[in-house]
Amino acid sequence: MSERDFHPLVKQLLDGDITIADLPAELRAEGEEALRLLAAVDRSSVELPAVPERVMRTLVRAPKHSRPWLLAPALAAAAALVIWLGRPEPVATPAAAIVTVRFVLTAPDAHDVTVAGTFNQWDSHATPLVRIGANGLWTATITLPAGQHQYAFVVDGARWVPDPAAPAVDDGFGRRNSVLTL
Amino acid sequence: MVTQVTWETRARYQTHTWLLFRGNRLSPGTEADGDIVRAVLAGDRERYAKLVERYRDRYARYAARMLGSADAAEDAVQDAFVRAYDQLAQCKDPNKFVGWFFLILRNRCFAERRRSRSKAPLEAADGVAAADRADSNTEAAERRRALQLALLELTPDQREVFVLKHVEGLSYGEIAKQLSTSVPSLKMRMHRAYDKLREQLREHT
Repeated sequence: MSERDFHPLVKQLLDGDITIADLPAELRAEGEEALRLLAAVDRSSVELPAVPERVMRTLVRAPKHSRPWLLAPALAAAAALVIWLGRPEPVATPAAAIVTVRFVLTAPDAHDVTVAGTFNQWDSHATPLVRIGANGLWTATITLPAGQHQYAFVVDGARWVPDPAAPAVDDGFGRRNSVLTL
Repeated sequence: MVTQVTWETRARYQTHTWLLFRGNRLSPGTEADGDIVRAVLAGDRERYAKLVERYRDRYARYAARMLGSADAAEDAVQDAFVRAYDQLAQCKDPNKFVGWFFLILRNRCFAERRRSRSKAPLEAADGVAAADRADSNTEAAERRRALQLALLELTPDQREVFVLKHVEGLSYGEIAKQLSTSVPSLKMRMHRAYDKLREQLREHT
């Protein structure tokens, strides 16, 4: 036991096995330090009101339930991360493969990021990305049918940004659309 | 007073202990988890929304404390629900959906922490609850923030046992049962966590 470690009796106090009154006098100060540590535990609740809608929106795009989750290759770091879903379903008619795609964009100054593309009729409100932490990483996970999709990120509702790590094509109106082939 | 805080903590534990891994107490006529799972497996996808609604917030705090931010927790909980849906046929006991879902979320949190370990300290401030941000000048808020930062310096195993016991209020026995491990092993992890937290907090102050 190093000098910086709590005494075993103080650890019992932290575990709730004994009270501070059970500690010998010479350990009371250490016991109080330990209880101050526990008093700083943040037990406030965290609410995630947007999760049901986001989850169900993702599922609605999947044709049917229950596929094993098979990991597969990710594209370039800043691009869409792709995870294949195998479909060994006992279905009479062969269905197209479904792919779960994670869109990732680094946009530290953005207040709001969405992804719009051929898969959501270019609706810039349909697929919001969620900010992860303080370093400006935004992500969204959706499922798409296999095939080719065009898309762009929409930053703060106005700025259309092609994916810097994906191939792009001209949209015929002077903008570049990113291309995702699944 | 410190002792009062401890007593309060114990009282609060009692309200949380039974909740984390068990299905909600349902009023008569409310659909049980198992019935919903079976309906979804039979093709009624929309019913899955009931499970998401029922359990979305219960694990939000666990995920937020494990990952260091509410944003990361939101992403993790969403992903876990999508994964649970995709793997629903593997839920051996539909009546215990919630415990099974927890393990999926837990794996997701561990994977996320491995991936973003280097970013953790920067994100920690985001993990502080809104109530803390409102009184960000108080000493108590500072202590909470310092502890959250220190928690992120623990290994995921150590952090998890601390979160389950001291944030969620579970006993060692309940944690051991859910994680299929032994109480002595959990205590060893926790006691290392105490020492590491003490060291971290001393460095911060």
